[in-house]
Amino acid sequence: MEDASLLMARVVARDTKAFEQLYDAYGRLVYGIALRMLGDVGAAEDVTQAVFLKIWTAPERFREGNFAGWIARVSRNRALDVLRSVSAHATAELPETLPEDEPMEATAFANLDAIRVRRALAELPPEQRDPIEMGFFGGLTHEEMARRSGVPLGTIKTRIRSGLGRLRAALSESVTV
Amino acid sequence: MTHDAFLDDVAAYALGSLRATDAARVREHLRLCPQCAAEYAALSEATTALAMGAQACQTGENGPQVSAFLKGRIMRDVRATLDGDRRVDAPSMRSHAATWPAYFTAAACLAIALIATASNFWLASRLSQARQDAAAMQTMLADTASAQARRIAVHDGDVIVRDGRVYIAMHDMTQPPKGMVYQAWTLARGAKTVAPSLTFMPDAQGVAIVAVPMDARALAAVAVSVEPAGGSKAPTTKPIAFAAIE
Repeated sequence: MEDASLLMARVVARDTKAFEQLYDAYGRLVYGIALRMLGDVGAAEDVTQAVFLKIWTAPERFREGNFAGWIARVSRNRALDVLRSVSAHATAELPETLPEDEPMEATAFANLDAIRVRRALAELPPEQRDPIEMGFFGGLTHEEMARRSGVPLGTIKTRIRSGLGRLRAALSESVTV
Repeated sequence: MTHDAFLDDVAAYALGSLRATDAARVREHLRLCPQCAAEYAALSEATTALAMGAQACQTGENGPQVSAFLKGRIMRDVRATLDGDRRVDAPSMRSHAATWPAYFTAAACLAIALIATASNFWLASRLSQARQDAAAMQTMLADTASAQARRIAVHDGDVIVRDGRVYIAMHDMTQPPKGMVYQAWTLARGAKTVAPSLTFMPDAQGVAIVAVPMDARALAAVAVSVEPAGGSKAPTTKPIAFAAIE
């Protein structure tokens, strides 16, 4: 597939073929994130549609760098909006959406396959894996995680940091840069 | 707070699990601290990888897969915007072409309903009120369709300003949870806190157009949040839309 940044440049020029190639390459990622967060096929499709239409109508919002990381953030934020609108999150502590406008450096992790990531995630101890998944996919703040699990707040934070570091290290070993 | 404890917050920030106020504090720190900035960059890679792990399966694999119809839906919408571009032939309208017909339809239906309702009123006062409402609706239609109107893009919509009038026009809105409504907020120029404005609900298609009852020239910003029915005196949730007007 053509480089995503080049495809985006063609999308800016209103090239529907380039947009279609982007969908073919990243549609499963966007849909997968939304489905994982929302647990509903219809809602996940709506989020996917909204994310891609946003890319089409405002392609300039993507700046140079890691397109996969950027679209993952946009998808996560969009699904988080839906979670907030249908749950008690609307009145509880609201987690921060991941910044979409900061430049994202190209990363060796941009093209990891899902199976390798799932395997690395599965190898984390549950006490590290659970808060990472609850925070990223469940849209919980670390305060909410601490309250629900009964684990002290500081411990939750440390586990998130250790888990993310360990995940990164495990994936670095399996990536050829 | 020790630096090591700050690094824990950096990890939570990379994950996106900090509250907005804590996140703002970490963001500020990242600007000044190279060590934390490097840690953030590294952990952001891990959260990107985490997202990659959620990718749906390819055809033939076991696991969740994307409906083949979804691509057709998206491409149809994309092509519809191209058709809209050709009709409108104005770059500033491009990103709105697909949604404007929905706004116009919603506004036109309201206008027709108001006029039709007015014809049935016997009481002069009610008739007068209905005529005023219909006139306001006609003004709204003219303003929102005007090429001279200023449009400020917000999440799923626009804030439209013309001749001192302000409208919030949104699409793809989900119905708020039971007992909740959307509420508009205004920030007057020079003010430090927002003031409550109208509450409203989207129609069945997720479209809402609200005329903000304030002079745009006196406003610095408008916002929308989800609030308990009846509205709040101060926002209780993070705004879903915010537009600086000044």
